[in-house]
Amino acid sequence: MSSDWETLQNRSFLESNARARAIGLVDPGTFTELAGPRCRLSSPHLPLLGEAVEFDDGVVTGVGLYGSRPLFIASQEGRFVGGSVGEVHGAKLVNIVRMAHQAYARMLADNPELPEERRPAVVISFETGGVRLHEANAGLLAHAELMDQFQDCKGKVPIIGIIGGRVGCFGGMGFVAAATDAIIMSPFGRLGLTGPEVIEEEMGKDEFDASDRALVYRVTGGKHKYVMGDCNLLVTDTIAAFRQGLGKVLAMPYVEIDRLRRIGSLEKVLTQLRTVAALVEISPHDSRDVWTYAGNAAADKLVDMKLDEFLKTVKRLEIAS
Amino acid sequence: MDNLVGQGRLAIDMIVDPDSFLEGVVGSLQLTDEEFGPGAVIGTASLNGVICTIIANDAMTMNQKFPVVYAGIIGLEEGYKMALAVYHSIEADRDRAPGEKRALVLIVDTPGNGAGKLEEIAGMNKATGAYQMALAEARKAGHPIVAIVVGRAISGGFLCHGLQADHVLSLAAAFNTMIHVMPLTSIARITRLNIEWLQDLAETNPVFAAGPDFFYRLGGVEELVDSIPAMRERVIAHVAEVRALKAAGKEDQLGPWGRGTLGEARGGRTVRGRVMQTMNEEFAAVADRYLK
Repeated sequence: MSSDWETLQNRSFLESNARARAIGLVDPGTFTELAGPRCRLSSPHLPLLGEAVEFDDGVVTGVGLYGSRPLFIASQEGRFVGGSVGEVHGAKLVNIVRMAHQAYARMLADNPELPEERRPAVVISFETGGVRLHEANAGLLAHAELMDQFQDCKGKVPIIGIIGGRVGCFGGMGFVAAATDAIIMSPFGRLGLTGPEVIEEEMGKDEFDASDRALVYRVTGGKHKYVMGDCNLLVTDTIAAFRQGLGKVLAMPYVEIDRLRRIGSLEKVLTQLRTVAALVEISPHDSRDVWTYAGNAAADKLVDMKLDEFLKTVKRLEIAS
Repeated sequence: MDNLVGQGRLAIDMIVDPDSFLEGVVGSLQLTDEEFGPGAVIGTASLNGVICTIIANDAMTMNQKFPVVYAGIIGLEEGYKMALAVYHSIEADRDRAPGEKRALVLIVDTPGNGAGKLEEIAGMNKATGAYQMALAEARKAGHPIVAIVVGRAISGGFLCHGLQADHVLSLAAAFNTMIHVMPLTSIARITRLNIEWLQDLAETNPVFAAGPDFFYRLGGVEELVDSIPAMRERVIAHVAEVRALKAAGKEDQLGPWGRGTLGEARGGRTVRGRVMQTMNEEFAAVADRYLK
């Protein structure tokens, strides 16, 4: 088991499948999958439309350990219907979060002095376009349930989002990710609400040319999200690097983890509104315009810069209060 | 009057006590800039003699600063403006007992969230997420939240403005209300499935079909309201019902989780519960290894 785990560590996160990511993020040999493929809980709706099913419905859910801390993990599989959220997939996501705060309540009842490093945490590896159209209404309702469960965790159980898969994290799951405590991305990770293809289709090529892959990555990719403060840690594309990032966040006292949030309080909303006002002033056509405004004189050079150099060089956007 | 599509402001007047709506003011919040988030209408009103917060869409305006924000679309400013109204409602009633927190009434007529390059550069996901988090916080702090769909409740727009409420009502389909993720024609194109076949299937399976009736069967809408004048009375009744359930500690019957249970009871979402039960049972068998 642990030798398999060792080989997973240096693998590309982007190229790995959802199960390998989940196994590799937790301590060696500690991952237990819940409602795994053996349970055959596949979508009852896809066959009606003549579509193939997967026995995990495109998301791996389970528990593992990180040191003495129980982790409740969900890892979406972008290769299955774009990592989309249907009824089963959604129920698995919702319940893994619910299990985490229920476990916390149970541990706290047993031990009111429960040390922070043993508190459960939720880790979600997002790789999804959001709602699965084949079972759209059930998928939509699951998104609302996730936001509801997140609120029950707030102030108690840290929720950490990881974005490093090929599909990125878009649609409704884009705001679910925004509602986590901390986000870890690789430069290949992408995060947004409306995907560039959809913007181009609805608003035209002048608004967003989705065939311009470089532009798509500049606007939605990890580097821009890091400059904006929309992702907290930017790491290289290996499972080990994501695991290390996870360790960094989990080593913080909860009050500090809570400070990593972008939204979730009146104060943070006011800060976001100041950012919006600043962007209206700059009227950016490209994320590079924002990078320049943030104080990066050679914004162009940052685009292709190696990650370690980028992290040493880049200035993140700071809006005065 | 055939329907209220695009008439969010009129719907406010028809629901709250006559001449009681004070726009732009919630607790200590006073918004005076008319160009700030004009697609969202927020304010304070009296509902059956009791103070409440109103949050609605205005489909008849456009945001001059954001060209993709018009016709009731929720843009960056609109999302954060709605969140401000919620946080100021919580703040204004902070010292009140849970049973005396003001209600929030969400009047829903939105085709979605702002879809533009500037929106993605700024992070539109945060604006819609911020409003939903604020609503969830208010709901759990004891504020009754009732949403009523009077026009369009489309996909992410409905998630943003509506689906975090304790109870969701909708005018019936006869009033041209639209609740869906995508029209069937678009689903057919993207999934490359035959449209006529999809239309037939939609008759028996509510999970992908468009319309308030299907959301009702899935438990996504608590009640369909069958006349425009009845809206006011039904909103008042649901605020009272939600308040009573909260006082009785029955929060599990409310909000998104309550609608999950309702979906099972109405036969629309039947595997959801089984999936969760399987996970809980499997975890119970290994829990001691993890929870020390």
